[in-house]
Amino acid sequence: MKCEWVQQNIMLHVYDELADDARYELDQHVARCEACAAELAAAQEFRQTMATVTVVEPSPYLLTSSRMRLQEALETAQQGGFWTRLTFDPGIWLRQVRFSPALAAMLLLVGFGGGTAVTFRAMKGGTTEVPGQGAGVNAGTMTEDANITGIRSITPEPGTNRVNIKYDTVNTKETAGSLNDTRIQQLLLFAAQNNTNSGVRVDSVDLLKQRMNDSRVREALVYALRYDNNPGVRLKALEGLGSYVKDDVRVRDAVLETLTNDANPGLRTEALRVLEPVHADASVRATLERLAAKDSNKFIREQSRAQLAQLPELD
Amino acid sequence: MAGESLNRIDDTVLVREAQRGDRAAFEDLVRRYDQAVLRLALRLTGSEHEAQDIYQEAFLKAYRNVGSFRFECSFYTWIYRIVTNLCLDHLRRKQVRKEDAGVVVNADGEEFSVIEQTADDRPNANPERDLLRRELGSQIGRALEKLTPRERMVFELKHYHGLKLRTVGEMLNTTEETAKNTLFRATQKLRGALSGVRSGGDVRGGDAARRGQAI
Repeated sequence: MKCEWVQQNIMLHVYDELADDARYELDQHVARCEACAAELAAAQEFRQTMATVTVVEPSPYLLTSSRMRLQEALETAQQGGFWTRLTFDPGIWLRQVRFSPALAAMLLLVGFGGGTAVTFRAMKGGTTEVPGQGAGVNAGTMTEDANITGIRSITPEPGTNRVNIKYDTVNTKETAGSLNDTRIQQLLLFAAQNNTNSGVRVDSVDLLKQRMNDSRVREALVYALRYDNNPGVRLKALEGLGSYVKDDVRVRDAVLETLTNDANPGLRTEALRVLEPVHADASVRATLERLAAKDSNKFIREQSRAQLAQLPELD
Repeated sequence: MAGESLNRIDDTVLVREAQRGDRAAFEDLVRRYDQAVLRLALRLTGSEHEAQDIYQEAFLKAYRNVGSFRFECSFYTWIYRIVTNLCLDHLRRKQVRKEDAGVVVNADGEEFSVIEQTADDRPNANPERDLLRRELGSQIGRALEKLTPRERMVFELKHYHGLKLRTVGEMLNTTEETAKNTLFRATQKLRGALSGVRSGGDVRGGDAARRGQAI
């Protein structure tokens, strides 16, 4: 082994990147070559010197705010679909077809068969499900969802878990059913997110609070808490989400966002109370420290300080 | 090792769900890697604000393109590839602007030194040694600034993030051999720039430095 080779590979040795046989040979060479031994010592000292500067971990606040910002952007971001991918990278599809002639032939046959069947069905006249009658999610109800223009009113039946919902398509319709009914849940979710009448949104969020174990409901309530312009709706959503701050990080982030940014001081105070069971969490602690130091609202500042005072000191 | 492969299996499941449009699955993937992504971006940009922009752009890009992810590498490598590309662009722009990289700007616009963030909290620490350490940190910062963006990236990923050069090569769309050569060039430059400096924080001057062996 030549000294020149050793000099060129000594850094790989120091960074543990040499193969076992090369490492062994290098060690053997260094044991009998003074110049290369000095070079190895210098390389090791270099690594030690560079390690003087350690990597700074991002602060919990920076991490939380980055996550919140990303979540917000993801709300509106679209995934690249089939046509986007085909448009941007037709090579991928061409390669697939080139290497899979059987698959290509099958796709062609399926396409031809499917086209024929659809034409046949269209000529025969397909049947559609009558909407508003039952519980199942099916093509009929999905088609109708696209036609719903708004929810007119929501009336719970006292003493039962049934609810009457009046909604508009081209005409106003009405349906009634239990809260366990998928159709009713869909209408309530629609009302919580899309309705122009804030009273209806309050009613729907209030009812949805009973089904918080459903992740779609939590998502709708997180959306309402973050974006609804009516404080009453946001408050109802916060009440519903409160019990999930421990288990669902997205809920915790949304409540933190309310605590930090909501224009309504009452909601911020409520968010502070809701976060109390998780105030030892790093992201919550960082937010509390920030608010305690420089929030414009005196009450929030004092409450944040009070919560921080209850926490054990960090080492 | 078992944990690593289990993680990778979980990643595969989550990526498949994300490809079917499940945003919650994608957010789970984000939470697995976002701290490492932010750490790398913060270290390379030296600005919380810019690190946050890179973080945002990287994950949005990943979300939009997760459908075309073909499992030819791990999700971890893929997301790092996106981030390193964005960071390389940033470093290239920064080289043109010749900014002072030793200073970090936080979200409130306040400036602080990266080096000062790593206070010496050892029991036998003393102010003089701390001062020397900071001086050494500044010298290292300046030496790193002199590397080309690609050399800086390879060195950062190897030295400060402890990645294998094979992985670094995959992330930078190059071979392990090229990554090795780049690391060699980077360390040569750094050793040259830091000759006369010892890890204890001593900065040798004049004759002492000339007599002493370069690291």
